Amino acid sequence: MARAVSTRRKLIYTLAAWTAGLLIFFPILWTVLTSFKTEADAIADPPVFLFFDWTLENYAIVQERSDYMRFLWNSVIIAGGSTLLGVLIAVPAAWSMAFVPSRRTKDILLWMLSTKMLPAVGVLYPIYLIFIEMGLLDSRIGLTLVLMLINLPIIVWMLYTYFREIPAEILEAARMDGATLREEILYVLTPMAVPGIASTVLLNIILAWNEAFWTLNLTAAKAAPLTAFIASYSSPEGLFYAKLSAASTMAIAPILILGWFSQKQLVRGLTFGAVK
Amino acid sequence: MSKWLEEHLPKVVLAPSFIAVLVFVYGFIIWTAWVSLTRSRLLPKYEIEGFIQYERLFAAPRWDVAMNNLFIFGTLFIVISMVLGLMLAILLDQNIRTEGAIRTIYLYPMALSMIVTGTAWKWILNPGLGLEATVQGWGLENFTFNWLVDPDKAIYTVVLAAIWQSSGFVMALFLAGLRSVDTEIIRAAQVDGIPTWRVYSAIIIPSMAPIFLSAFIVLAHLAIKSFDLVIALTGGGPGFATDLPATYMYAMAFSRGDIGQAASSAMVMMGVVFTIVVPYLYSELRAKND
Repeated sequence: MARAVSTRRKLIYTLAAWTAGLLIFFPILWTVLTSFKTEADAIADPPVFLFFDWTLENYAIVQERSDYMRFLWNSVIIAGGSTLLGVLIAVPAAWSMAFVPSRRTKDILLWMLSTKMLPAVGVLYPIYLIFIEMGLLDSRIGLTLVLMLINLPIIVWMLYTYFREIPAEILEAARMDGATLREEILYVLTPMAVPGIASTVLLNIILAWNEAFWTLNLTAAKAAPLTAFIASYSSPEGLFYAKLSAASTMAIAPILILGWFSQKQLVRGLTFGAVK
Repeated sequence: MSKWLEEHLPKVVLAPSFIAVLVFVYGFIIWTAWVSLTRSRLLPKYEIEGFIQYERLFAAPRWDVAMNNLFIFGTLFIVISMVLGLMLAILLDQNIRTEGAIRTIYLYPMALSMIVTGTAWKWILNPGLGLEATVQGWGLENFTFNWLVDPDKAIYTVVLAAIWQSSGFVMALFLAGLRSVDTEIIRAAQVDGIPTWRVYSAIIIPSMAPIFLSAFIVLAHLAIKSFDLVIALTGGGPGFATDLPATYMYAMAFSRGDIGQAASSAMVMMGVVFTIVVPYLYSELRAKND
């Protein structure tokens, strides 16, 4: 509902919205701040907000002690790989549903999406057994495959909502001009589909990057990505807040930055296309 | 390209996704259902024995705690997230400046892994460090906030963090709903001098019923699936006071070596999700066919 609101009220609303934003952002901000503190400052009572000795030593220690780069690299490979693979499989499927819909298309789409709602625990154990059998446990390939499979319905769904926005008239015009299917896909569809594919990729990278259920259960040391790394760091005994915060900051930084520069896509992606 | 392929291409390209989802999800669910009817312990067995695992499950006090927690957690999480999300959406709908940036910030918790943001929450909730120490530092010496270590209250800390994570997302859904309400009706109501809160409560919110339903479905299945949240915040503790069905299943499968129990608990969770999702899908499909 867009209405004309007086300037003063608008200012008050803006302030209120930013206050709420600050409250919501606080835990994230606090993690980042704590990562620059010494361990003593991190657990100071009463807490120190900004006036402490800023230090970078946590970052150095985290890297030195636990080979942070390896976990980061695993995250990049697994998130990137599963996204790429998923998009490759999903683009043709979404294309088919958006442009050559049959009577069952909507049913199939809803059914696919519904599987995403089922708790992953229902399929965890058989996959775990198969992984043992095939030697995929704690391997990047295995995790990439699983993450691709669990996010596939979302990828198909997102691509479908984007493809649906491409006007069918353009395709008809191309066909009238005698374009073959190959030309139609290559020269007409692809250029218009790229933004949609890009935001789908963004969403899926975020989902795969954050995935914890499968990474915790199917990796140990070799293929463990950042989420598993942070979970291993945060055991209740010997909780080192400053170092853990440094590790956490490094894990969330890519998403914070990616999200900020692609706000619209982030919003649309996280709401599965409901908010454009 | 042969004629056949040209004609059937749409189906052919859809097949991999379709089959992947079918086998991956339903194939493995059937496996789990099968094993839940056996005496499997450390290793899966395949002789069907009946419902013993379910009998054991419903007799287990720990499962009772987990289901109870799911009920408390689910109810509070869904209701409060919806109320907060709606309030934030109405706030953002007042034509405010820098809306894009605020929306992104509201959604950040959803975009970040709870495993990671859980660290900050542990600090905030830690008696002696976070909120408690801060408020005591302000001079309120008697203020206590030790829910995290109190077995009776720990589940509420999970609720708190979950609301934090999801209310921005619910806000985004509701905002989309608010934006889709016909502005003509609203303008007409305003011309008639109807106060803003009445416009919202009598016109706008009732017309958003489908969005409430979708938000409910999304939040409900998130609640049932909640796993990383608990692992990150409490690890299921103190004791198993904050166990949810997903963490119960996890504990049975991986630390107790009791696959049969894990499988039967997974099936019960599945049943709960189905009873929520199936009516929803049914209504969606019916709406489409009308």
